[in-house]
Amino acid sequence: MFTTQLLDVVTTAGVLYIVALGLLIVYGVLKIINLAHGAFLAVGAYAGVVTTGLGWNPWTALLVAFVIGVAGAALVEWRVLRGLYARPMDTILATWGLNIIVVQLITLYFGREIRFAESAIGRAVNIGGATYSEYRLVLLLLAVVLGVGVWLVMQRTQIGIVARAVIMNEELAQALGINTRLVRFVTFGLGAGLAALAGALLTPLVSVHPNLGVPWLINAFMLVLVAGVSLLNLALAALVLGGAQVLVSSYGNPVLGSLTIVILAVIILRFRTITI
Amino acid sequence: MRERWTDHRSRSLATLLVVLSVAMLPAGAVQSQDKGPIVIAVPVGLSGVNSVVAPAVVQSGELAVEEINAKGGVLGRKLQLVPLDDESGPAGAVKAFNTAIRQHKAHTIITMETSAARNAGAPIAERAKTLFIYTSFYEGRACGKSLFINAWVPEQIVPPLIKFMTDDKKVKKWFALGSDYAFGRGMIEAAKSTIKGVGGTILGEEYQPLQQSDWTAIISKIRAANPDGIIYSTSGGGPNIDFMKQFKAAGLKMPVGSLSIDELTAEAGGDAAEGVYYTGDYFTGLDNPENRKFLDAMRKKFGAGLKTPNSLSEPEYDGVYAHAMAVEKAGTTDVDKLVQVLPTIVFKGPRGQVQMNKQHHASLPVYLAQVQANGKTKVLKSFGLVDPGNQCPSLK
Repeated sequence: MFTTQLLDVVTTAGVLYIVALGLLIVYGVLKIINLAHGAFLAVGAYAGVVTTGLGWNPWTALLVAFVIGVAGAALVEWRVLRGLYARPMDTILATWGLNIIVVQLITLYFGREIRFAESAIGRAVNIGGATYSEYRLVLLLLAVVLGVGVWLVMQRTQIGIVARAVIMNEELAQALGINTRLVRFVTFGLGAGLAALAGALLTPLVSVHPNLGVPWLINAFMLVLVAGVSLLNLALAALVLGGAQVLVSSYGNPVLGSLTIVILAVIILRFRTITI
Repeated sequence: MRERWTDHRSRSLATLLVVLSVAMLPAGAVQSQDKGPIVIAVPVGLSGVNSVVAPAVVQSGELAVEEINAKGGVLGRKLQLVPLDDESGPAGAVKAFNTAIRQHKAHTIITMETSAARNAGAPIAERAKTLFIYTSFYEGRACGKSLFINAWVPEQIVPPLIKFMTDDKKVKKWFALGSDYAFGRGMIEAAKSTIKGVGGTILGEEYQPLQQSDWTAIISKIRAANPDGIIYSTSGGGPNIDFMKQFKAAGLKMPVGSLSIDELTAEAGGDAAEGVYYTGDYFTGLDNPENRKFLDAMRKKFGAGLKTPNSLSEPEYDGVYAHAMAVEKAGTTDVDKLVQVLPTIVFKGPRGQVQMNKQHHASLPVYLAQVQANGKTKVLKSFGLVDPGNQCPSLK
């Protein structure tokens, strides 16, 4: 029982981390909350449906989802968001509007009924005396890989240094000759690509329908509010809030559990002294 | 009325004329209506949560109307089907019922709706003296003088499933779970009382919020409780597949009975729901001549545009037929007469024999089915006609 619960906590944190990562990156660099994040999750999930429907290997869905997410985001950043950075409130409207448009387009093409994507792994494995879903363990591994990958990019590459400069002080970065427009463009693409990738990764766990992104968006939003722009904080927030959700659901009930993330986020925000 | 009138022969001619002219008014109105078609309104969720199933409901109704009209209609009049959008909710239902009655002069409303939409629409139909045949399974105990229901209530679906799993699958210790909403909880309540009745025990009972698609915590509780079998009732569609996928990925193998899965969902889920047992009154795989004829006719009429008939859409077909037979027998569309006649009508349709004679509800043929490896549903056996129990004791 203890092993299972420990695994529940860490794998739930892993899933939350994967889902929130794209949102955090966009928030960090662009200073906007991408409310179309849920729509990109759905896009990725449907990429999984289509690729496995074509009989391709389920893992290829990840690549397809990422590419489609980046391409869609590039178009949106170029035609919609670019003109709105000076008006942050309007970006909220624009990205939420985009969310509605994308969800409706998906509904028009695929219909409202649920879809199904083939899972790469459907079996359970024995770990520490407990039988556990192998796929959730793989997700945990992927969360770590993605986290470390993005961290390395930010710390060790030219792109990362430029992005960090923009995060810290955009005007100064601009003055130093950094093309902030390009940085924004690339970051938004990467963030949306990661969202679509997360959507494809979710399909073996949940059924696919046009609105599947909304509840995930809410949780990811809370995590990012708590974590600010730090990748490490995000991991910590996913572990604490996700863990609390699992434990409250286990020892209390899942109805309370689903409130845990929101309530804890509010409490943490109230008492957090360090601002980002 | 007539007796009293003869008693007062001494009244003046003027009074007589007034009485006569008043008496003529409704007669004239009825006569002009008699020539036109009999209008059946179908307020259904063409948008909103029911929009997945609504097109199939309309198609079932269209086929029934076409078949009846091809045989000359009813009382020499054609039937006309008017589908309306109730937006899957009460506000839309009020609009749709008013439009049906005032604008389309609907004689009868025959439809599948959400319970909230039905509760909003039924009083409007009642006031307008319009017969309302409700064709959706629901939580039970909706009563009205002109409201009839030809689909199942929990009393008909739950006990057969629990008894089968107890007797044939040797499930004694149960784990019950569901989505946290009225219908899900109602179904689990019905299951619990049956389980207690057959001497089973309930090791755990858990509900999950509607929006939450991660069942991890509940699955861990199931593992810890280690029951012989599972009974669950999520909200319709996706959550069934979410739960079953995660249940299987966790390596759990006990038998599962579902109170919320349906053929379309099971098929969309591929092998996710393989092995799940469930009961119902209609399955496309029912092997009887009426169902084969119904499915052939549906395929022929709608071709590639056919929405797969299901337990929410097929009763619309039965409802249109039962109504036509009642009008034919009563010789009128007058609601007071129809309410008397409708319970005497027996329609043998794709589900089997349906008669709405149990306090405006119907004893229904109930079948046991199991989801196969390809997601298709296989009908395993029939429980025969199952009584709906005391739904509306104040009605006959």
